[in-house]
Amino acid sequence: MIKELILPNLGEGIEGAEVSEISVSIGDKVSLDDTVLVLESDKASMEIPAENEGIVKEILVSVGETVKTGQALLKIKHSDEKTDKKEPKEKPLETKTSQKSTELPLAAPTPTIESELQLSGSDTTNNVFASPGVRRLSRELGINLQVINGTGEKGRITKDDLNGYIKIQMLLSNRGVPKPEPEIDFSKWGNIERQKLTKIQRITGQRLQSAWQSIPHVTQFDEADITELSQYRKNLNEKNTKKKTKLTFLPFLMKAISKVLRERPVFNSSLDTQGENLIIKNYYNIGVAVDTPTGLVVPVVSGVDKKNIYELSEELIDISQRARNKKLKPKEMTGGTFTISSLGGVGGKFFTPIINPPEVAILGVSKSWWESVYDQKTKKQALKYIMPFSLSYDHRVIDGVAGAAFTKRFSNLLSDLSTFQEK
Amino acid sequence: MSKHKQVEIAVIGAGPGGYAAAFRASDLGKKVVLIDRDSSLGGVCLNRGCIPSKALLHISKVMDEAQALSKMGVTYNKPKVDLAAVREHKNRIVNQLSGGIAKMAKARKVETVEGVAEFKSNNELIVKTKDGLITVGFKKCIIASGSSSSMIPGILPNHPSILTSKTALDLIDVPKRLLVVGGGVIGLELGQVYSALGSAVSVVEFLPNLIPGADQDIIRPLHRKLKKQFEAIILSSKVLKIEAKDNNSLEVTIEGPAGESKEIYDKVLIAVGRKPNVELLKLENTDIRLDESGFINVDVYQRTSVKNIFAIGDIIGNPMLAHKATHEGKVAAEVASGVPSAMDARVIPSVVYTDPEVAWVGLTEVEAKKNEIDYEKGEFPWAASGRAIAVGASQGKTKILFDPETKKVLGVGIVGPSAGDIISEGALAIEMGADAVDVGLTVHPHPTLGETIGMAAEAFEGTITDLYVPKK
Repeated sequence: MIKELILPNLGEGIEGAEVSEISVSIGDKVSLDDTVLVLESDKASMEIPAENEGIVKEILVSVGETVKTGQALLKIKHSDEKTDKKEPKEKPLETKTSQKSTELPLAAPTPTIESELQLSGSDTTNNVFASPGVRRLSRELGINLQVINGTGEKGRITKDDLNGYIKIQMLLSNRGVPKPEPEIDFSKWGNIERQKLTKIQRITGQRLQSAWQSIPHVTQFDEADITELSQYRKNLNEKNTKKKTKLTFLPFLMKAISKVLRERPVFNSSLDTQGENLIIKNYYNIGVAVDTPTGLVVPVVSGVDKKNIYELSEELIDISQRARNKKLKPKEMTGGTFTISSLGGVGGKFFTPIINPPEVAILGVSKSWWESVYDQKTKKQALKYIMPFSLSYDHRVIDGVAGAAFTKRFSNLLSDLSTFQEK
Repeated sequence: MSKHKQVEIAVIGAGPGGYAAAFRASDLGKKVVLIDRDSSLGGVCLNRGCIPSKALLHISKVMDEAQALSKMGVTYNKPKVDLAAVREHKNRIVNQLSGGIAKMAKARKVETVEGVAEFKSNNELIVKTKDGLITVGFKKCIIASGSSSSMIPGILPNHPSILTSKTALDLIDVPKRLLVVGGGVIGLELGQVYSALGSAVSVVEFLPNLIPGADQDIIRPLHRKLKKQFEAIILSSKVLKIEAKDNNSLEVTIEGPAGESKEIYDKVLIAVGRKPNVELLKLENTDIRLDESGFINVDVYQRTSVKNIFAIGDIIGNPMLAHKATHEGKVAAEVASGVPSAMDARVIPSVVYTDPEVAWVGLTEVEAKKNEIDYEKGEFPWAASGRAIAVGASQGKTKILFDPETKKVLGVGIVGPSAGDIISEGALAIEMGADAVDVGLTVHPHPTLGETIGMAAEAFEGTITDLYVPKK
């Protein structure tokens, strides 16, 4: 019996994803849950497992194609039916030749790139009001006259309208995309390798660039004394030997952040697209940047204020593992109100994280150190465990005083164990 | 052994479309070969169509005007026609123009090949020349092989007394009685030539009107004139049979509304339309598709279903006009050379070079009624034009059709001397989207026949002072 593998629902609001990899070929034997396809949406990559054991009979999609929920991806034949081996081998040949035969007559005349390029512009100019000369110019410029509003006498499209349109297009494109730099041939100075960026890397890159260019960032540096918190965490971990995994600092940071956000709603907001209203969110979903082999992803832990340290810890471990295994659902990466990027396990002192829009602030945590600190109360030097952190915020929404107050409050909350001890 | 050439662009047919395509492509830096089966470049238009017929129509018109002068106090003797000298005059014009094209080809380094081209594949032609076969490999090809006269099936195609437009223009003799089969442009133009040279001309048309397709109000003055010049205008009739007589005269059986009749004519000119020259091309060796009427299908870039082969002019369909072919030829050459271009002309003017001339562009009333397109009309009778009266052209008329909402010019129709020269303003108005006010407020020189276009727009606007138009 041949079964079609249907693309399952990828999550709310996700209608399709791009096929980035086909892990099987026709004739391959697959077992239940073997990865057969890898899809990449603009948020994450997902592995699609086989739903039954068998032999891949037909692959109905190709790399680069966008597939939609409910679409048939593969045909898999149950392996218990031992059928003629020939068939699967013939199939790919067949499809190849049939493709060729339909393409050949078209391929022979070879519409070159030049001839493809030049044919832009309006195919039908009958319902536009433009002189033959303007029509010709529009073809040279590759502008569809249907989208131009004529400013000439009686609404005629003039050459100036075309020039104006080009200027606007240039302005628009300059805003988001840098001017293309001339390609440099690095190989003339030595051996090089070319590495293709993953889709996640490409998308992340675009988003970071747009965030960096469109948001006026200010980064506030601060430190927190986490000597007591560190000891408290140690104690908890020693007490809870039953738990397989140990608590990291991150659940504590999340908890403390959710408190600061509650007190200072402007940090838990977004600007509307007109830049006229601030949308304050009364829920606290914190995104956590996770480094994966294919790039940076930011799964979101929702309702942080309502979860205790252990719940947060478990959830964090689960999503970061699944993030690394490409098993995150797209909806697990949406709806964040604030992001934490922690390099505490790696090193470095302070860094300037880039805001994850439409959020307005992001916390960057670096590696803690021991420091001898003069205590004014006790008039003594004491060793303290210091955590350096940075807060980048959107200066359109948050002013410097609020930013500094935020970091101070956060610092104080981390030094005060009662932050974590309620409930 | 056959020779081989490799070119960037091969053009088949050196008519007004083909040579324009070849020259444009060459001017855009392409290596071009221009192939024609005729040793004389210029195609039908130049060798046996527009140009020779206009040379002869000029003669017939001047003869007619000279005669008309008798009403104005100047009398000439009856004209004597030296047919050999007329033929010589016509040939001189043709040779001069054809030679001019050859010179321009040479100056542009466009290679011309005399021979019949056929396709071997989507990328190769075989040309049969006097000196054997040449294969021509091409990257792009532009088919401009034109059209030739259609014959009525089963009617003596090779009889010396059966003429086509081509043989009629050879002016072998002036038949006493000439029957023109087909009351279209070609039939009436040549009928008028032969009438002026002394033939008693009859014309038979299957449809109830001359120049079917044109608005009858602008055909009527021509019809009236032809009625005086011709022996008979036989409408709603068709030729059933043509039988050769011993003395090379022809007995023609015509079936009309009143039944069948038989008449003897010295010659019969068949002018019932033209068919695309597709047979010799061996298109079956390519993937080019034809439409139901046997024309080659093209897109706005003049590309056939094979994207490196273009087609232009008569071979892609009606209207079969040289000026349409020329424009299409340039578009094809530009697209084939990688220059952004497309055939997006809104209108193509049509002209009947009879006396009086008839010309129209854009929407006609016939078409508007057929397709239920709303229009309004401005008319100016030439009887109110001082210039027209002075040159004896008071039968003429200029009319403009306007969009009822935007008042933009949709179409123009003119009958009268120089109608074909005046019509260009109508074409420009339509291309530029001019409306009644634009045309009316454009100052036209007085007194001219071209002025009538401005007058027609003013008549529509109600601003005219050369006519009295009662208030709408």
